[in-house]
Amino acid sequence: MLTIIIRSIIIYVIVLLVFRIMGKRQIGQMQPFELVLTLIIADLATIPMAEVSVPVLHGIVPLLTLVVIHFMLALFSRLSQTISKVVSGKPVILINPKGIDYEAMKKLNLSTDDIFAALRECGYFSISQVQYAIMETNGKISVMPKADSAPVTNSDLKIDAQESFIPIMLVSDGKIMKENCTLAGMSDENISSLLKEHHCSKLKEVILLCVDEMGEGYLQVKGKEGKTFQTKRLVNK
Amino acid sequence: MKILHYINFVIIILLLAGICVAEEVVVSGSLKQVQTNCLEIEKIVDERENLKNMEVVLAVDNLEYNWGEDEKNMCYMVNHKSVQEIGSEIAKLKMYIADDDVANFRVSIQVIKLHCHDYLHFMGANMHNVL
Repeated sequence: MLTIIIRSIIIYVIVLLVFRIMGKRQIGQMQPFELVLTLIIADLATIPMAEVSVPVLHGIVPLLTLVVIHFMLALFSRLSQTISKVVSGKPVILINPKGIDYEAMKKLNLSTDDIFAALRECGYFSISQVQYAIMETNGKISVMPKADSAPVTNSDLKIDAQESFIPIMLVSDGKIMKENCTLAGMSDENISSLLKEHHCSKLKEVILLCVDEMGEGYLQVKGKEGKTFQTKRLVNK
Repeated sequence: MKILHYINFVIIILLLAGICVAEEVVVSGSLKQVQTNCLEIEKIVDERENLKNMEVVLAVDNLEYNWGEDEKNMCYMVNHKSVQEIGSEIAKLKMYIADDDVANFRVSIQVIKLHCHDYLHFMGANMHNVL
């Protein structure tokens, strides 16, 4: 049993490394071949884990080989548009201003029900609201609505909106995020004085402290309501 | 970061190449050693025509020792079930020596040789094995 436990740890670490090397895509964003690759990796990993007579190398070698193949394929796809089309396919227009492209729909083995379901997922319940619908290479459908069905934007309303900034998390669950503090140009002392300003003496009590580039911050302390505050603008590094 | 990414892949490719070379050296070296030992034992048995003599006993002990050492290294690369028959046939050889059973002793030697030959063929990267 100890052998199986140790083998499982080894394979787990290897699979973790393999997925880290391969990138960070989520299942929904994967190309079909990437999904197949993920399933193969999962299957390969279980063989040496459970079968003690099989050397761990019999699991590791195919895993690493698949990583190399994946890397090569990704590299060649980047270098050549043709290879990219062969490997990932190309986006297909399913709905154009004239209506549903029946030929494209049949080619992709889709039914009108599938198209309608995808449109509803995007928030469009009538095909008359849709100018274009495109089947992406990862199998998702992107929708471009007709002008009268498109969501209103600030520029449509001639509102001069300010750009918003990504808040930088400085303290999370009582711990100072060193890397983010460096990015925001804040030292531990700055954070302590910021907390004191808001009547919080213990770092451990802080659930969340974040500040954006314009100096707009949010602080939540355990047992208290979260509050927004204004501080000096950050010097981004 | 991109350079690191490429370095990762170079390391993986080198690692895979290293494993292939190590397999070739360790596994084929061990099995060829067993085959050589078996030929030596066969030669001694042909000359003496009985098993109850020191030369046969020493040769089988030598085969057992070599196989024991090689098997440890082979377990990193070979499915243990694929080669365990060699070990059990070596154990039978000792039993046949005690009974002076020359016929079965020869059969066991042939089985070991055949097993080594088969595995050497099976592990090679040729078109038959790949397909």
